[in-house]
Amino acid sequence: MPVVTFLPGYRKARVPQGATVLEAAQKAGLVMNVVCGGQGKCGKCIVRIENGETNFDREKFGVLFAAAELDAGVCLACQTRVFSDARIDVPAQTLVQEQKILVDAQPLDIPVHPSVRKYALALSPPTLDDPSSDLARLLDGVEHAGGPAATKVYAPLEMLRKIPVVLRHGRWRCTATVALVPGGYRLINVEEGGTAARLYGAAVDLGTTTVVAYLWDLAGGRVLSTASNYNRQISCGEDILSRVNYAKKNGTAHLQELAAVSVNTALTAAADAAGIDLEDIYEVMVAGNTVMTHLLLGIDPAYMIAEPYVPVVRRTLSTTAQRLGLSVAPTAGVFTFPAVSNFIGGDIIADILTSGMADQDEVSLLIDIGTNFEAVLGGRDWMLACAGAAGPALEGGEVLFGMRANPGAIERVRVDEATLEPAFETINRVPPVGICGSGLIDLLAGLIRACVIDRTGQINTGIDHPRIRMGRHFPEYVVAREDESGAGKDIVITGHDIRNLIMSKAAVLAACITLMDAAGISHGDLATVFFSGAFGNYIDKENAVTIGLIPEVPLDRVRNLGNGAVTGANQALVSRERRKALDRIARTITYIELNADPGFMDRYTQSCFLPHTDLSLFPTVQRVLEECRLRRGAQWQG
Amino acid sequence: MTERITEVAVGATRTEGGTRTRSYRVGGASALPGMGDAGARPLIALEICDDPALWPVVVLEEVGDLAGDLSGWAKAAEERWGADLVRLVLTSTRRRGFDDPASSGKAVGEVLAATGLPLIVEGSIDPALDTGVFRRCGEAGEGERLLLGTAEAERYRSVAAAALAYGHAVLAQTPIDINLAKQLNILLRETGVPHDRIVIDPYTGALGYGFEYSYSVMERVRTAALAGDADLAMPVISAAQDSLTVREVREAPEGERVETAVQWEFYAAFSAAVAGAGIVCVRHPGTVGMLREAIADLWGGEGWR
Repeated sequence: MPVVTFLPGYRKARVPQGATVLEAAQKAGLVMNVVCGGQGKCGKCIVRIENGETNFDREKFGVLFAAAELDAGVCLACQTRVFSDARIDVPAQTLVQEQKILVDAQPLDIPVHPSVRKYALALSPPTLDDPSSDLARLLDGVEHAGGPAATKVYAPLEMLRKIPVVLRHGRWRCTATVALVPGGYRLINVEEGGTAARLYGAAVDLGTTTVVAYLWDLAGGRVLSTASNYNRQISCGEDILSRVNYAKKNGTAHLQELAAVSVNTALTAAADAAGIDLEDIYEVMVAGNTVMTHLLLGIDPAYMIAEPYVPVVRRTLSTTAQRLGLSVAPTAGVFTFPAVSNFIGGDIIADILTSGMADQDEVSLLIDIGTNFEAVLGGRDWMLACAGAAGPALEGGEVLFGMRANPGAIERVRVDEATLEPAFETINRVPPVGICGSGLIDLLAGLIRACVIDRTGQINTGIDHPRIRMGRHFPEYVVAREDESGAGKDIVITGHDIRNLIMSKAAVLAACITLMDAAGISHGDLATVFFSGAFGNYIDKENAVTIGLIPEVPLDRVRNLGNGAVTGANQALVSRERRKALDRIARTITYIELNADPGFMDRYTQSCFLPHTDLSLFPTVQRVLEECRLRRGAQWQG
Repeated sequence: MTERITEVAVGATRTEGGTRTRSYRVGGASALPGMGDAGARPLIALEICDDPALWPVVVLEEVGDLAGDLSGWAKAAEERWGADLVRLVLTSTRRRGFDDPASSGKAVGEVLAATGLPLIVEGSIDPALDTGVFRRCGEAGEGERLLLGTAEAERYRSVAAAALAYGHAVLAQTPIDINLAKQLNILLRETGVPHDRIVIDPYTGALGYGFEYSYSVMERVRTAALAGDADLAMPVISAAQDSLTVREVREAPEGERVETAVQWEFYAAFSAAVAGAGIVCVRHPGTVGMLREAIADLWGGEGWR
């Protein structure tokens, strides 16, 4: 079997003849960018073959590379097969790097009233005159300490086994932990001595790409630390669909384990930072999308991705850490958010909880944008939701120089309307190597304002300007010249990239309009447009409206929720009342299946225009663009 | 519904600054066809071409030697077959390696000289050729208010530029989609082409090959326009260009082929007129007469203007 050595780290893996470089890399423990799950579509898993016998279809994938690059042995790891020992150079961009993970939760303005509590007890030992059972003694103590009535607390067998020893060994001083779970109160731990201050809980946003954890001191009602890391399932495919397909092929066990490891890694980091013991974490709230929740719970998600797209569970679920392999207190409750459909998952319910829209009379719109997007419209009495695929373009996939929000990504761009010169900022202020989602949106808005592109996104190659030119396959605009770039070549955005971006944004806008049409409301009726998720946090609101990513509303009505999922998880962790709202919210939502909506394709085509074919939906944008066009005047027309 | 379809002037007589013996104002309807003021009677354009190699055999058999004689063919369209307009399709530009845009201008000039009918010109379909071809065509027809095509969303600037520079109207073609039609009209407007110089070509599939989609788009365009959508309030042109090469025509028994061809073309064109097309284009001379009669029958009453 060939041995593949990866540079610069000299990591080695032994793989069968004909295995792909990607498989070898995974075996060697390298986490590569595989946006498309290894289908050769995203062009992100770039490596360079130094030596060895390999096979890569240069014709088929030639569009992704310059001729010189191909000659130098550059290829896609997922599409290159290895037939002998090989040395392969892995550029830094190919590896998943530390990226801007949105950790910030909104500050909580709700009373802390957690579902799990500790009661420090000093019990009197039994005597012949007072021979009540150990359990009754303990639970009476809990009741006297202000806890629930003894008769209402259930004590499972593993507690009964523990109680006699703990009580006696601790000389009748002990601490009981009682949790309110869906079945009622439950005794989940008994410890010697007074440990009431050591009561911690964790709120976790289990995302497809990232895991964010908040560690709470539930006794004191404050956040101790936060941590985040990648979802380890990335090695089984980057998007949800590839994960489900992986589960279909290989079963759910591996993915369940990786989900647990990902959560554990975040929790360990948070616990280390706070200087606490993981075993003192007695509750974990997990907000994740429907597939992530299924996978963490070890439930087969396969039936969700085929018609009629039904998930297995739709309600809140509570289980124990032990059963999921989480390394917190074994009896700690793990509580997962409810889902509404295959695509409207617990993360969206958490977003809604965070936004407060379910408590308002006015109608708001909530949008969570990623490779998939979700949109929710409504208020206290009703909510409509839908979801769809936006494609990876807004996150930098299927865009030649698109990249995630890693160091060196252009995250802000302005295009000077007079000189057509760009001015940009990169993450960590290092020379640019690519463009991330927020930068792409800025660029699109800048280029239409400068009339470099028309409303379909076509670059006007009639403009005589050094930054506008015909590329190898498509017209392109040079964002950073080779001498300004850290990529060793010009960083451009092509007509093809722009088309992909427009199709992505059109899917989001068409979905919003579909919901608004279904409810019979117009953009003027929207009290607030909430953006949730990392993407929403970094994009420029005005530019998002200019390109028609979201309906036109006054900019002060657009609000970022930050990481709404983890904020919602925080709320549900520390407040019983908020937790109770979850199932109500989930029940209030009516899910609209866009595939089954006969008007959706029409709305989508209408939205494949900057900002929209019906310009009256974007009166302000239309006025601004009209002014820009007049300023540019007849300079290049004809 | 009180809105009106914009009138587009096609052709210019001497008094209008051209040399045509007649000119038309296409559009003007303020109702659906057959209901109230449906505007001018639909016009019939006969298509001819400058390179018959790519032309339907059934037409070539009918026109005989005229196929190689652009002037004669154009003249016959007017005098023998009674078309309202001539549509010159510059098929020569579709040949691989075409590099003579001057010949396109010459062809336009030749047809203009041979007939007094207003002229529709359909030029190249390759962005690399467009600038040259459309400039020559526009130039050759300056003052004649040609209908110049075809502009598409991916390549509209050259056509628009030539139309603007030489005073022509633009054919705006989109693939059977009302939204794309509207988008292209907006793109053209933003390039400076006024509304009354645009004719919508929603693309017409042959009967049995998607015609019903085209029909419904034509109807929707008209309905949207009458409901007040100014970006769709242009007249519509229809050319079911594949009608004469469909399998049913190719495989028709020898003795019925011409009849099948003409019928196939006739019903698409006539239906398009009923859907609201202001200009219908056909290739077989036999279709022209049938269309004239049918349209006169239907529009002969109060619908005539």
